[in-house]
Amino acid sequence: MLRLALKRSLRLGPAVSDTPSAAMVASRGYHERVVDHYNNPRNVGSFDKEDPNVGTGLVGAPACGDVMKLQIKVDEDSGKIVDACFKTFGCGSAIASSSVATEWVKGKQMEEVLTIKNTEIAKHLSLPPVKLHCSMLAEDAIKAAVKDYELKKAKAAPKQE
Amino acid sequence: MLAFEDNQNICIGTIENTSSSPVYLSSGTSPVPPHLPRLHPLKPSPLLSPSNSFLPPIDSQLRNNLLDLPRCGFPRNLSSSNSCSSCWNCGSVGPTSGAFLACGSCGAVQPVDSSVDYFQIFGMKKMYEIEEGDLEGIYKDWQKKLHPDLVHSKSEKEKGFAAEQSARVIDAYRTLKNPLSRALYLLKLEQIHVDEEKTVSDPDLLMEMMEMREAVEEAKDTQSLYEIQSKVKKKLDSWSNSFKEAFSKQDFDSAVNCTQRMKYYERALEEITKKL
Repeated sequence: MLRLALKRSLRLGPAVSDTPSAAMVASRGYHERVVDHYNNPRNVGSFDKEDPNVGTGLVGAPACGDVMKLQIKVDEDSGKIVDACFKTFGCGSAIASSSVATEWVKGKQMEEVLTIKNTEIAKHLSLPPVKLHCSMLAEDAIKAAVKDYELKKAKAAPKQE
Repeated sequence: MLAFEDNQNICIGTIENTSSSPVYLSSGTSPVPPHLPRLHPLKPSPLLSPSNSFLPPIDSQLRNNLLDLPRCGFPRNLSSSNSCSSCWNCGSVGPTSGAFLACGSCGAVQPVDSSVDYFQIFGMKKMYEIEEGDLEGIYKDWQKKLHPDLVHSKSEKEKGFAAEQSARVIDAYRTLKNPLSRALYLLKLEQIHVDEEKTVSDPDLLMEMMEMREAVEEAKDTQSLYEIQSKVKKKLDSWSNSFKEAFSKQDFDSAVNCTQRMKYYERALEEITKKL
């Protein structure tokens, strides 16, 4: 079934238009999951950047002009990510990749999310080769968010002592 | 009007005012424009006949000069230059400069030569600043000679050439017309490879783009969209100039950076256009 979905998604066309529909799946070959994330995006939004418990990852893909912002809210004591949100300007695959990323990081330890690989995201969404860089963008966004949080923590720490 | 003599034919031709100066050869197979007399290889040319009334008498000096022309119809000093490809149909030599897409003599469409770059097709210097207004005229001129619809009476081989050449000219036109694609094409010609997979994390750039895209999304009316559009266009122009400077100094890292920014601005403009 995965192979069938892959075959379908290999016929992927250019970036998604404003009105995705069932026709999109049939004619252009976007995987169902990508369409689902596009139509029912999870965790779209913004946290307060200044919040000390928030890490913000901002990445971009210059080749297609995509911008992706992924934010994590970390519980100070346990180091666990309690919430995540994203805002992405780009193609359907980029949006879906970041949406999946926010779902996957919730409830995990920070060290754990650093091991999330773009290939896993791509496989989950059955991304065609031409869209693999979107999943790479999501992986980079996760890492950037974690890094930002740790930088904030490091800056804040001396003040507390 | 000029005439010259070779072993078989005396041919009458007109010199066009390009540096390549193709001369019209009358061979058995290629079409002769109606206003020129049809010449038969074996019959004596009307030119030599004293009773010829519709052609001006050939000046002997002129005739001597013209006899210096080699078979291919070009003055010898020009034909010694390099890369003179010849027409598969009539054998006449292509222009010494500029793209040889269709034979100037018999009109036959030539096979695609991918070593000819887009700037050569349009007869322009390989640089960022070009006369964009000239592009359309030259494009249409080429399509008059190359378009597949115009060669439906010709051989399958030539139809194939026409399809490829025509497509290539369309690509060239589109690439050169848009400043960003022109910039990227120039970089490509310089063998500068831009790694498309790499993500950037320049916070200032990305923050600016994020805010720009958010503003577009949240814009309530066409007025505010137009305002954003003009701001973005200004930025695009300014980075376009930066590219021009960086490229002319061969500072390719900055040049690539400029194209990346231009891409982001173009993307924003696309979104605005969609909303309008």
